[in-house]
Amino acid sequence: MSLTKVSLIDVVKKQYIYKLKAYSQVFMSLIFLQLLAVLFSMNGVGSMGGSTGGSVELQVKYFSADFVAAFTMLWGFITAILITTKAYRNDDFVFVTNRVSSNLSNAVFLLTASVIGGITAMLSSYLLKVIVYYFISDLSIKSITVLEAPMELLLGIFSTILYVFLFCALGYLVGTLVQISKAFTVLLPAAFFGTLILEGLSGKAGTVANVFDFFFTESSLVLFIVKIIVSAGLLFSGAFVLSNRLEVRG
Amino acid sequence: MSVIECSGLTKVYGGAKALNNLSFKIEENKITGLIGRNGAGKTTLLKIIAGLLKETSGELKVFSEKPFNSLQVSANVIFLHDQMNLPTALNLKELLETAASFYPNWDRELADRLLDYFSLNPLQHYNGLSKGMKSTFNMILGLSARVPLTMLDEPTSGMDAAVRKDFYRALLKEYLAYPRTIIISSHHLSEIEDLLEDILLVKEGKEILHMPVDILKEWAIGLQGKTTVIDEWTQNTEVIYTKSIGIDQSYVVVRNHFSETEWQRARNAGIDLTPVTSSDLCVYLTSKTKGGIDDVFNKG
Repeated sequence: MSLTKVSLIDVVKKQYIYKLKAYSQVFMSLIFLQLLAVLFSMNGVGSMGGSTGGSVELQVKYFSADFVAAFTMLWGFITAILITTKAYRNDDFVFVTNRVSSNLSNAVFLLTASVIGGITAMLSSYLLKVIVYYFISDLSIKSITVLEAPMELLLGIFSTILYVFLFCALGYLVGTLVQISKAFTVLLPAAFFGTLILEGLSGKAGTVANVFDFFFTESSLVLFIVKIIVSAGLLFSGAFVLSNRLEVRG
Repeated sequence: MSVIECSGLTKVYGGAKALNNLSFKIEENKITGLIGRNGAGKTTLLKIIAGLLKETSGELKVFSEKPFNSLQVSANVIFLHDQMNLPTALNLKELLETAASFYPNWDRELADRLLDYFSLNPLQHYNGLSKGMKSTFNMILGLSARVPLTMLDEPTSGMDAAVRKDFYRALLKEYLAYPRTIIISSHHLSEIEDLLEDILLVKEGKEILHMPVDILKEWAIGLQGKTTVIDEWTQNTEVIYTKSIGIDQSYVVVRNHFSETEWQRARNAGIDLTPVTSSDLCVYLTSKTKGGIDDVFNKG
């Protein structure tokens, strides 16, 4: 029987198509999480109120899809960890693969997941508006429609996608570290919460706050894109290098 | 052309050597039986060949490439075993379709017909299958993929007698129609003996022997007779196995170095000469003691 020649790109493409089907459960959990976030958002993300002379009472509430976006980032993080686990990683090795192609197809899959997650998260604000209109109050003081500000919506979707992808990259590295040694399941949370608590006690803005600022308060769009892409790239490369010697054990 | 070439292959698992300085070659388009006791290193060897594990030391070439992290090796090797992890979200039909997309020689019709013959429901999920049905499905994957190197680790585990028979027949038919290199590891040597061309016998991670089955059948001979006579005859030969029968009779297996005249003399001395089946021989060769389980009970 003659030997088959394969190219990396070709195998990655096949793995990607197969993963879209095989990992479809993650999208079920996305829908569930986003609905849950919409439910949480119904109370409004902020409110102010007042009364004049006791006869008129005014209450203003802000509604936004911030919760949904935050939940989607968390979902990206968890999904990325999930697909580094043995059950998913070893699936690849039933068919044609090596560690590079497996990692690459995972990254492309996570990018797809981020795009889907980012778009649905931003669109959920319209679901929220409809729910608020019918069940909470039909008086809307300010509500931006798509036609009014199409660029805002697109920008919102784009940046949410990037944030979700960044969390995917972080989750992928964390998941890979855990696959290398189970000690990281304790070490990583301990390091994260330890820094948080220590910095909280000292009362100064520390590493965690700085990292948060670095990514979430960038006002220049170009710089923001560069920051996210470079960071996600570094996180993924770290995971690729670390997992390139991982064995497949039953 | 050698499909697999390895020399001095060693794999250390947590301090213990699963493979210990193993060297052998496997030629193209042969069916080789990988025989050994539990824990002899059969599965470890197959996993290293498939590129799932990395060798600790030594050299291994599959299709003239190192298998670990090689796409070419992965595309030309299929390795099926009973602890396989298949994607849980896909049903059997989807699994076959996925396999078809990865393996260019995949025979879709054969896969469907086999699935139908063994009455596997295409909408069922792999995890819901019984042990024997999982093995059956693995076999369907292995045969339909038509990959130059097919490795089956304990392919019949859990299968009932009828399915086992069907499996051997299907394997042979497929092999004759599309010759390829096949490695089967199994405990049931007597069942697969007729299928095999070569036998690779391993014990404690080392190669004991590697030869065609036909030669193995003549390789050793069993002598039975009075213990005193037998002892005299076997003084200068390598004894593979010994068992005492009754009070003064014993059965000894030795290498078959005897010439025609020696055979005659042995018969005249009252020794029964019997051929040793390859299955028994493999058990004798891989046992830790010369007397087998009897030694445990014979304290004296």
